Amino acid sequence: MDEQGCPRCKTTKYRNPSLKLLVNVCGHSLCESCVDLLFVKGSGVCPECNTSLRRTNFRLQLFEDPFVEKEIDIRKKVLRDYNMKEEDFASLEEYNDYLETIETIVYNLTNHINIDETKKMMEQYKKDNKDQIKKNQSKMSKDEVMLETLIEQEQHEAVMRKALIKEDEQREKAAKRKHKDALIDDLMFSELSAQAIISSHRESARLEEEELKAKTAATAFSTGIKIGHQNNIVPLNRVDSGVMYRYCPLVMEWCGPDPPSMDDIYGDGYLQNIRPASDAERAGGFREAIACHRALQEAFCGLYSYPTISSSLAMKQQTSMASTSH
Amino acid sequence: MFATSSQLKCWLFSGETELAKHRSEANKAFIQTWRQDKTDEEVAKFFLTPSEERILSRQFEVVLRKFCSEFQPPMPKCVIGTALAYFKRFYVFNSTMDYNPKDIMLTCAYLACKVEEFYVPIGQFVKNLRGDREKFADAILSFELTLMEKLHYQLTIHNPFRALEGYIIDLKTRYKEIQNPEKLRKCADEFLDKSLLSDACLIFSPSQIALAAVKFGAAKEGISLDGYIRNKVLKTATEKEAENTLYQLRRVKAIVKSFEQTTREQAQGVQKKLDRCRNQENNPDSEIFKQKALDKLNEEDNVPAVKRAKLSNV
Repeated sequence: MDEQGCPRCKTTKYRNPSLKLLVNVCGHSLCESCVDLLFVKGSGVCPECNTSLRRTNFRLQLFEDPFVEKEIDIRKKVLRDYNMKEEDFASLEEYNDYLETIETIVYNLTNHINIDETKKMMEQYKKDNKDQIKKNQSKMSKDEVMLETLIEQEQHEAVMRKALIKEDEQREKAAKRKHKDALIDDLMFSELSAQAIISSHRESARLEEEELKAKTAATAFSTGIKIGHQNNIVPLNRVDSGVMYRYCPLVMEWCGPDPPSMDDIYGDGYLQNIRPASDAERAGGFREAIACHRALQEAFCGLYSYPTISSSLAMKQQTSMASTSH
Repeated sequence: MFATSSQLKCWLFSGETELAKHRSEANKAFIQTWRQDKTDEEVAKFFLTPSEERILSRQFEVVLRKFCSEFQPPMPKCVIGTALAYFKRFYVFNSTMDYNPKDIMLTCAYLACKVEEFYVPIGQFVKNLRGDREKFADAILSFELTLMEKLHYQLTIHNPFRALEGYIIDLKTRYKEIQNPEKLRKCADEFLDKSLLSDACLIFSPSQIALAAVKFGAAKEGISLDGYIRNKVLKTATEKEAENTLYQLRRVKAIVKSFEQTTREQAQGVQKKLDRCRNQENNPDSEIFKQKALDKLNEEDNVPAVKRAKLSNV
C-alpha cells in the first residue's frame, strides 16, 4: 500500500508521524503546514485543480482516499435540499426512484460528469420544492426519532442502575449491622460456648452472601451474548485424505536358501561364535547380531545362481547398444 | 543384496567359453577398425591374437594383485577383489590393444579404493609407484571416467570375503562335527586369493565361491563337508537347485585350480608387439592423445561462447 502523504511537500506519515492531512470540497488533500502556507489570506486555490477554496472549509481527512472525503462533502450538500422522507411518497417505488436521482447527482458531481446540467437540475428542484424543503428541514426522520428514543432509554437505564447499586449498598450495610447485633445478643444470653456461636454466625453470614451473589451474577454480557458454556461448537469437518497407506512387509529375493533370521541368530547361539560389540560400538546402536546377520545373508544369497547364455544375452545387447550410440 | 544386483543381472556369464567369445569379438572389432588395407597375414603378424591378449591381461591381473597387496596404507581385501573385478569386467568387452592394461589396472585400483570407502588421495596413491608420478596421476584420472562408462556405472561388487565369514560362523553354530572350524580358514583364504586371478567372479556368485573355498579348506584338513552342504545349507533346496549348486561348486574348484601363471618371457613378447599396434588415441604418451585432451579442454571453453552466439542469433 502506498504511504499516505501530502502531494505538495511529499511528506509522508512515515517520515513525520504527526502529519495531519486536511481536505477541502474539491477532494484533494494537503498537509497542515502546506495549508498554513498557502491559505495565509484565508482563501486561495487548490494546487491540484485550481478550485478556489476557503481556509475555514478545510477539515481533517478521515478516510485514506481523499476521493471519499469529496464525495461525503458533496452528498451533504445535496441532501440539504433533497431532504424528502419516505412518508412524503405514495409508494416505495417512487421513493426509490427519488433516492436513485440523488445518487446520480452525487456521482455526477464527484466525477465531473455533466456538471452544468446537474447543477441546473438541482436549482430547478430547489425552486420547485421550496416549501417542502423548508418544512422537512424542521422535521425529523423516522430513524432520527428512533435514535433519540434509544438514547433516552439508555440514559434512563443508567439512572436506574445507579439507584439499584445505592439501594444494594444500603441493604448490605443494614444486614451487617443486624448480624453484629444478633451476634452480640447471642454472646450475652446464649448458653453455648463463644467459639461455637462465632463459627455458626460466620457460617450463616457466608451462606447469605453466597445467595446474594447467585442472585446478582450477570447472565449475559452487555452485548447480549449469554455468559457460560454453550453447545455451539461446530464439529470439524473430516478431510478426506485419499487412499490409506498400507504396509506391505518387504519380501527378500535370495536366489538361494533362506538365511537364518534375526530371531534365529539370537535363538540358535550364533552370537557365541562372534566377537561381541564393544561398549563404544553399542553406544552408536551397533549390535554384533547385525554384522552376523549380514555375513550369513551374504553367505546364502545367490547360492542357486546358475547363469545361462540367455541371461547374459541382455548384457550383450546392452553393450552393443552402448557401442552404437557412441 | 546380490540376488537383485547388477552383478547377477549383467556381469555373470555362463562359462569360460562365453567369455572367450566376447573377448575374441572385442579383438576382432578392434582389428576391423584399424587394419586399413592389411592382408590377413599381415594382420596376424601386426595385431595381437585373442590368446595373446589373454596372456597379457592375465599377466596384468597378477601385477595388479601384487600392487594392491603391497600398497601403503595396506588395502582391505574387498578393495583388491573389487579392483580385480573391475579389471576383468573391463576386458570382457574391450581389447587390450584399445586400452593399455597398464593404465586401466591403476585406474581400477584407484576407483576400487573410492567405491569401497578406502579413499586414498591421488597424490598419496601414486606414491606407491616408481617413475614419473605426475604422469601416472594424469593417466589414472584421464581414464577414470572411461572406465566407469565401460562398466556401465555398475560399480557395486559383491566380494566373497564376507560370505566366507558367514559360512565359518554358520559352521561353528550349526555343524558341531568339526571341532575347530577356524583351522580351515587359512586354506579357504588362500583359495579365495587364488580365485581372484581366475574368471570365477565373472561366472559364479560370491556365495558359491565362498562355499567352494570352505569346502576346499576342509578337504585340505581331511574333513568332508558334504554332509553340511547337503543337510544344512541345501536342506530347503529343490533337487534341481541342489544339483546345480553342487555342480557350480565343482566348477569353481576346477576353474580356480586350473590357473596357470604366464611366464615373463611370454608376456614380454606380447608387450613388445602391443607397443606397435596399440590404439594411439588412448596412449597418454602419444601426440594424438595430448592433442585430443587439449581439444576437449578447448571445446569445453567454447561451449558458453557457442551458446551465446545461438542466443544472439535468436
